[in-house]
Amino acid sequence: MMKRYTYMCFIFIFNSLLSANIVIENAVIWDGESKEEYIGNIFIKDNKIENISNRKFQAERVIDADGLIVTPGLIAPLTEIGIVEIGALSVTRDDNDDFYHIGFSIHDAYNPKSTLIPWNRSNGLIGSITVPSKGNLPIGGMGSFYILDGLLEISSIEDNVMLGKIGGSNNSSRAMQISLIEDLLSLANDSKKIDLESIDEVNEFIDDSLLASKLDLMPRDIRALNKLVNKKITLILNVHRASDILKVIEIKEQYDIDVVISGGQESWMVANKLATASIPVIIDPMNNIPNSFDQLGARSDTAALLEKAGVKVMFTVPRDHNYHLIRQGAGNAVANGMSYDAAINGLSGVVSDVFNIKGRGKLKKGFYADLVIWDGDPLEPASMPTHVIINGEISDLTSRSSRLMERYTSGEDKPNTYR
Amino acid sequence: MHLFRSILVFFLLTSFNSFANNEPFESTYYPLPQSNILFKGGNIYDGDGNEFLNTDVIISNGVIVAIGEDLPVSEDTIIKDVTGKWITPGIIDIHSHMGVYPAPGVSTSSDGNEATSPVTAEVWAEHSMWVQDPQYALALAGGVTTFHVLPGSANLIGGRGVTVKNLQRNTINSMKFPDAPHSLKMACGENPKRVYGNRGQMPSTRMGNVAGYRKSWIKAEGYLSKLEEYEAKSDEAKELSYKPTRDLELETLAGVLKDEILVHNHCYRADEMATMIEIAKEFNYKITAFHHAIEAYKIADLLAENNICAALWADWWGFKHEAYDMVQANIAIVDQARNGTGCAIVHSDSEIGIQHLNQEAAKALSAGNRAGYNISKARAMKWITSNPAKAAGIYEQTGSLKVGKNADLVVWSGDPFSVYTKALEVYIDGAVAFDKNNSFKPVSDFDVGIIDAAKDRVE
Repeated sequence: MMKRYTYMCFIFIFNSLLSANIVIENAVIWDGESKEEYIGNIFIKDNKIENISNRKFQAERVIDADGLIVTPGLIAPLTEIGIVEIGALSVTRDDNDDFYHIGFSIHDAYNPKSTLIPWNRSNGLIGSITVPSKGNLPIGGMGSFYILDGLLEISSIEDNVMLGKIGGSNNSSRAMQISLIEDLLSLANDSKKIDLESIDEVNEFIDDSLLASKLDLMPRDIRALNKLVNKKITLILNVHRASDILKVIEIKEQYDIDVVISGGQESWMVANKLATASIPVIIDPMNNIPNSFDQLGARSDTAALLEKAGVKVMFTVPRDHNYHLIRQGAGNAVANGMSYDAAINGLSGVVSDVFNIKGRGKLKKGFYADLVIWDGDPLEPASMPTHVIINGEISDLTSRSSRLMERYTSGEDKPNTYR
Repeated sequence: MHLFRSILVFFLLTSFNSFANNEPFESTYYPLPQSNILFKGGNIYDGDGNEFLNTDVIISNGVIVAIGEDLPVSEDTIIKDVTGKWITPGIIDIHSHMGVYPAPGVSTSSDGNEATSPVTAEVWAEHSMWVQDPQYALALAGGVTTFHVLPGSANLIGGRGVTVKNLQRNTINSMKFPDAPHSLKMACGENPKRVYGNRGQMPSTRMGNVAGYRKSWIKAEGYLSKLEEYEAKSDEAKELSYKPTRDLELETLAGVLKDEILVHNHCYRADEMATMIEIAKEFNYKITAFHHAIEAYKIADLLAENNICAALWADWWGFKHEAYDMVQANIAIVDQARNGTGCAIVHSDSEIGIQHLNQEAAKALSAGNRAGYNISKARAMKWITSNPAKAAGIYEQTGSLKVGKNADLVVWSGDPFSVYTKALEVYIDGAVAFDKNNSFKPVSDFDVGIIDAAKDRVE
C-alpha cells in the first residue's frame, strides 16, 4: 500500500513536470549519431525534444510507434529546393546569375510555397541545403540551409555554404582553376586587413587588386571571400579526380578553410588522406558511371571505402526534385558495404555536424523535434513515413502529387475538374 | 589447314553477303558456353505473375526445360542449391540509351539524336551504338539480360530502335536479339518543338508537331501503296516497269504500317497521348507503348482499351513542365486499369536506373498498395520482365520463366524488391554471363588499363 502510494505520488510529480505536446511511444530510435538503435519514448514539448526515455509520459497527443523506426528528419546537403520549380523552365529558376561572381546568394529567392517542399517533406525530408548552380569562376555562389516547413516566414541559416568546382572543362584548364582558387583565397586573406563594413575601403581594396579589378569583383564578392578565410562559410567543392582531390587537401591546409568534397567519384583512392585532413564527402552512392574522364574511378562501394578510412559521408541523388531519395542512395551504400549506422546517420546527424546546423539532425534532449516515423526500414525505398514532425508540429503529408492521385482514383463518375 | 579455313571463311562471307542483300544487319548473336543446371529449392517470381516457393528450375541447352519439384535430371546436370534465394526472369529495360549515349558522356560519342531534321525515320540506333560502352556490364550486374536502345527525343520521328542481348561483343550485330522487331521512336511535346522552334523552323508548337507526324504518315501511305501496286503486278508487267526506288525514311514508316515495326512513343501529357491515339487510328497503325507518360494515370482506361503499354519511371518528375503532374501510383494505376488488363512497364532511360529496376518497381508497388490497390510482388515483377518483353516483341522467346523459353534468368541473394538484394548470377540463353561470387563479369575494352595500366578500370 505504502509502495503504491509512493509510486502514485511519483507519477503525480512526474506528470506535472513532464506534460508534453506529443509523445511517441515504443519507438525504435536511430538518433542520428549513435552506432546502434534503441527503444524509447520521445517526449516533445513546444518545438523541442524534452526527453527521450523508457518512462511513460503524459501528453495531449500520444503516437504509438509500436516498434516502428524513428529517425531525425532527413537533411539533404545539396539541393535546388525552393529555387528551381521546373528544370526546363528558366523563368522558374533562380539558381544562377553572373552579375556577382562569388557573392551571389540564392537566399532571398527561396520560395517556401514550391511544390517540391510538401513533396519532399511527405517523403521524410525536413531540411535542405539549397545551392546555386556554380558560377563562372571556380569558386562562388552561396547556398543556405532551410527548414522545409513551407511557412512564409522562412527558417534558414543564410549563406552557410559556397560552391566551387575543379575539373575537366571545355573552356579552362584545371591548372588555371586551381591557381585562381589560390589567388582568390590569398585575396581573401588580404581582405582581413580592411574594414569590410566600409564601402570606401572595400572599393579601394578592389581598385588596388589587379585580380579583383580584372574579374570585375564587387564588394559583395569580397565579403563572401572573407567569410571563407574566417571560417564563416563552408566551401563545397565539386571534384572527382583523385589528383585534384589531393590538391584540395593542400589548399585546405594552406588557407585553413572549411571544405567539403562533393561528387568525389575517385575519393576512395585518397580516402585516408581525406580522413586525416578531416574533409567530409557528399556522394551519390548509386552513381558508378565513369561519366567523364575525371570520373573513371567511379564505383559502387565508394561510401563503404570512405567510411572505413574514417571519412564522414553524406549523400546526394542522381536526379533532381526527389531529394528525399538520398535514403535510397544510403540503402545502396549499405548494400555495397557501408555500415547501417554510418548510412542512416549520414542522412541527418552528419549533415548537421558538418554544416554546423545547431540543434537539428539528431534525436537528443534539447534538440528541435524534427523527426520521422517510418512504416519500415527507412533505407528501403519502398518504405514511407507515417508521421513527419518539424519543430514539434505534425506535418500534413498532403502534396500536390497526393491530391492528383486522389483525383484520379476516386469519383470517376464526374469529370476530373469537378472531383 | 590455314588455307582451308580462309576458303571456308570466304565462302561463308560470300553466302552471307548474298543473303544480306535482302536483310542487312541481321543478328549474328550466339550464346556463351551453356550449361545444364538444376537450380534447387529457390523461390521464384516467374514474370507472368506467379510466385513459386521452394521450387526447382532446370535449364538445358539454353532453354528452360522444367519448373517444379523433385524433377528428374540428366547426368550432366550441374546442381545448384539456391535455397532461400530468388529466381526471376532476366530484367528487361524497354528504354535505354546505352551505347548511343555511352560513358564517358563526351561530345565525340554522343550519338543518340540526329537533331538535324524533325523526321529522321531513316536512322537506326544500332548504327550509333558503341559496343565498348562500359555501362552494359554495370546493367548486367543489376540483372538486365535484354535492353532496347532508342534514338533520343529531339525529333518527331527519331528513327529505329534495336533490342540487344546484354552480352557485350565486338560488333553490334553479334549483340542483336535474334528476330526481334525494330521499333520506331516518336516523340511528343516539348522536346521536338523546342529543338526546331529555337531554330525558327517547324515544329515550334504542339500543333506543328501533330502536323509533322501526319504529313509523314501521308507520305508513308503513298510509298507503301506504290510498293504494293508494284508487287501486285505479274512478273511480265514487273519487267516492263521500274521497281519504286527505295527510300530509307519511308521504308521505316511503311514498316510500321505493315505491323513489322513497333511504335514506341515518348509522350508525357494525357491529352497528347489521346491525340497520338487518334493519329494512329487515322493511319491505321498501332502504338505499342508510350514512354515516360507521367500523366498515364489520367487516361489509364484509354490505354488499356487500346492495348497500349505505358513505360514509366517510379517517381522522377519536374524537370519539364510536361513532367510536372507526377503521382507515385502511376504505374499501379496503369497496371490495374480495366480490371487489371493494363500494361505497365518500369523503364529507366538512365544508365544508373537500369541497374536498379527492381528497386524502382519496389517503389511503384509500395505506392500502388498505399493508394489502395492490392498488387502482389509476383505481379509487379511483370513490370520489369514480361511486359517489356511484350513491348519489345520478344515475349515468345523471353521475359518469363516458362518451359521452352530462353533461359534468361537471375539468381538474387534475397527478395528482389529489397535495396539490399544483389543479383548473384545472371544467365543469358542458359549461359552464365555474370557471377558475383566468382567475380566473373565482362570487361569492356574501355575499362582495360585506363587508370592503372596493369588493372581494369575499377578493380
